[in-house]
Amino acid sequence: MSPWLLGFVVFTAVPMLASLWLSFTDWDSFSTPTFVGLANYTQLFTEDPLFWPALRHTLYFAVASVPLSLLIALALANLLSRPMPGARFFRTVVYLPALVPLVASAMIFRWLLAPETGPVNGFLSWFGIDGPAWLLDEDWVIPAIVLLSLWQVGAGTILLIAALQSVPPELYEAARLDGAGGTQRFWRISVPLVTPVLFFNLITGMIAAFQVFSQVYVLTDGKSGPSNASLMLVPYVYDNAFRFYHMGYASALAWVLFLIIMIFSAGILRSSRAWVFYESEVRS
Amino acid sequence: MSVRAVRASRAATRYAILTVVSAVLLAPLVFMVSIALSSDQTTREMSFRFLPTEFEFGNFVRAFTADIPIGRFLLNSTVIVVVSCVGMTLSSALVAYGFARLRAPGKNVLFGVLLSTMMIPAEVLLIPQFILFRHLGWIDTLLPIIVPNFFANAYNVFLIRQFITRIPAELDEAAMLDGLGHFGLFRRIIMPLMKPVLVAVAIFTFTFNWGYFFGPLIYLNSEEKMPLALGIQVLSATSSGAQTPPWNMVMVGALILILPMVAVYYFGQKYLYEAGVVSGSAGLK
Repeated sequence: MSPWLLGFVVFTAVPMLASLWLSFTDWDSFSTPTFVGLANYTQLFTEDPLFWPALRHTLYFAVASVPLSLLIALALANLLSRPMPGARFFRTVVYLPALVPLVASAMIFRWLLAPETGPVNGFLSWFGIDGPAWLLDEDWVIPAIVLLSLWQVGAGTILLIAALQSVPPELYEAARLDGAGGTQRFWRISVPLVTPVLFFNLITGMIAAFQVFSQVYVLTDGKSGPSNASLMLVPYVYDNAFRFYHMGYASALAWVLFLIIMIFSAGILRSSRAWVFYESEVRS
Repeated sequence: MSVRAVRASRAATRYAILTVVSAVLLAPLVFMVSIALSSDQTTREMSFRFLPTEFEFGNFVRAFTADIPIGRFLLNSTVIVVVSCVGMTLSSALVAYGFARLRAPGKNVLFGVLLSTMMIPAEVLLIPQFILFRHLGWIDTLLPIIVPNFFANAYNVFLIRQFITRIPAELDEAAMLDGLGHFGLFRRIIMPLMKPVLVAVAIFTFTFNWGYFFGPLIYLNSEEKMPLALGIQVLSATSSGAQTPPWNMVMVGALILILPMVAVYYFGQKYLYEAGVVSGSAGLK
């Protein structure tokens, strides 16, 4: 246990306390930190013109990408969980994008979404649609990041396929005898039985969405999109700490982000009692 | 319609949907290959085609010659990933063995602490860790990226511990009677039995470090130390307005970044399934 314990103290416990303390100081990372009490936090919530937009964009991204990813993953898993010729091929194709490192995928999407020369707008023009400038357009930059996240639904899909395959076939058989159609069987049997995996995907997806960094950084070239339209919380922490050297302020931001994630996790956890279905509850 | 006709039309619909979805999912990769194979002329004019019309396979050779340091980036990535995988697998296995088999006061409390560290977001630790590494003089070296891997991580320890608890304890007793100490037991008996889960941990460590962007972005300044994930981003961003980034070479780099991931998954999925991390509630990423 000791290697972990040592690592825990050096890389986790002490840094955590240090970061909490730093969040109450004003520090440029070179001179000595001066204690400023709650000043960073008050500034954050009342004066900072960028904090609320950053939080709003992060929420927008999380609320758009997480449920959409779940729905698409569930639909794909439902198509792919049945035995059929070529299933292996399709499963590989669906999972492939999830293997692409975020930096590489963000680079590809920069090009796919290029306003004049990108294939996406080229494709839209076949239908007479004048595609938006995507990453250069305030209203479309976050949907573009959502599109990138939807491209990588494969990991969630694989877990759902495994879960769907472990649903006992007798249940479907019994439902069929009772006259339930395909749609009913899906909503009444498949979905309830995979809610534990949906719950897992929801909570990990939500946490990941709040911590989005690499794709935003690469897609918008280290800036925060047109007029800060894609500024999100982690990139904002990064900017404050490593570009402006406001270490104390960045620490306060990080703690606020941590608390927001905790609140959302707790909320989802509470709600899960109402909709997550565990087989063991029925058996006991 | 007969039952058979209904079934056939449903199957046809399913294949149609899956074909369209697959085409959409594969399209970005096709476009990427097309850019990677473009000539320098096309790159300067930025007149890329969706389907490859040019086939400059020489771009892949140039990646390893001096003019564009992709080979150097690749070497750095390889060093980081290999050393990290060894460190993470060994340390996590040792720690997990301790939690699974040793008796010590406060063990359960410590295990609770270990599990709760999974919830701490990296951002909260970021700044103090940066200060720590600066005090150690590790900025602009690979050490801040590699060394933390030698101290195990909660997720992997948990995974391995669950696996060890499935190994019957009678095996330990028999080995102890034969005169093996805890270390011998760990190395000779438990380690070989843990192979699937250790490979799984190595795959996770590989995946994470291979695509790791945030850490290198913060800790590394000089180009010759950058791993591929950061290097290709820098390659595409540093060039000033007058000069077009070498997009074809950037995409060659991105392709080199993708291929090992695909290979690792292809050859490693067997172990992921054996270790029960795919079908269980544990995610792949």
